[in-house]
Amino acid sequence: MHEASITEAMLDLALEYAQGQRITDIYLQVGRMSFVVPESVGFYFEYLSRGTVAEGATLHFETAPLEMTCTDCGRQADLSEWADEQPRAMMVQALARGCQCGSSNLRVTGGTGFEMVSLGVEAQ
Amino acid sequence: MVKIPVLKSITEANALLADAIRARFVQQDVLVLNIIASPGAGKTALLERTIEKLHGELRLSVIEGDPTTSLDSERIGAAGVPVVQINTGGGCHLEARMIQVALEQLDVEDADVVIIENVGNLLCPTGWDLGEDAKVVVASLPEGDDKPLKYPMAFATAQAVVINKIDLEPYLPAKVSVLRQNALQINPDLAVFEVSALTGQGLEGWLDWIREKLTEKRES
Repeated sequence: MHEASITEAMLDLALEYAQGQRITDIYLQVGRMSFVVPESVGFYFEYLSRGTVAEGATLHFETAPLEMTCTDCGRQADLSEWADEQPRAMMVQALARGCQCGSSNLRVTGGTGFEMVSLGVEAQ
Repeated sequence: MVKIPVLKSITEANALLADAIRARFVQQDVLVLNIIASPGAGKTALLERTIEKLHGELRLSVIEGDPTTSLDSERIGAAGVPVVQINTGGGCHLEARMIQVALEQLDVEDADVVIIENVGNLLCPTGWDLGEDAKVVVASLPEGDDKPLKYPMAFATAQAVVINKIDLEPYLPAKVSVLRQNALQINPDLAVFEVSALTGQGLEGWLDWIREKLTEKRES
């Protein structure tokens, strides 16, 4: 549901950086634990961008992995064995195992965001 | 094609506004809590009971988030504290800009604690900072004791969890002890309170936590 407003914010940011130049590509990074569904963003973008310099631009989504860090020793947890699982299942299993230092204080430190990496605009 | 680097968070505008709201509350020594829960977990009932118990001791104000109705703010208004209703128009969570608008209608200088009741949803609200000091999850026992495992981010980003409707435990397959254990597995730093907003059981620990948080903020 909230993808409509998030897509609006994304479009505003793109238009701000493009400064009137025609946008052909938008490169985005979506965290695995973010609250953003790329398909839904694409759907709203098509409507919202109509009549702007971003109309018809291709959206490129790159996935940012879930990252968890131990608050006691600062080590980043190795989550590779659960790479194919849903992020929440990954998180729960990582928490159950804890850090190799013995601590169970793992915090999510990455993979929750939605970022714009760059824009492609038409060469003048 | 020419590439323009951006490297910016899409939700940065919300984060900046939330920080501005937080700074304002620091200045005014007001504690701000963001209550997150599923629909029907008992957020409003917990607020009603909290208002009743802290009456005459702490000045509370409430910001009520709801997709379309004002039913909850009417309940809170009837409990006798200032309340502002935010209707999200079907939206699934509150955002900082909505809080900013609500604050224009709320005299927070006369408040000790502002409680924001988020839209009933355990997923989306956790992604939007509202400028609060702490997120509090209300998880009711009838929803199941596996809630923390299904919605880990809500519990991971909260400072406290209020387990509500514990009076129903004899009639349910879910167990309070399991819910507590699951919540602490996700976040060992959580303060956990077992209450029944209906009967008033167990509320004292929750009220003490609010008192402590306020003192902490005023002393910092």
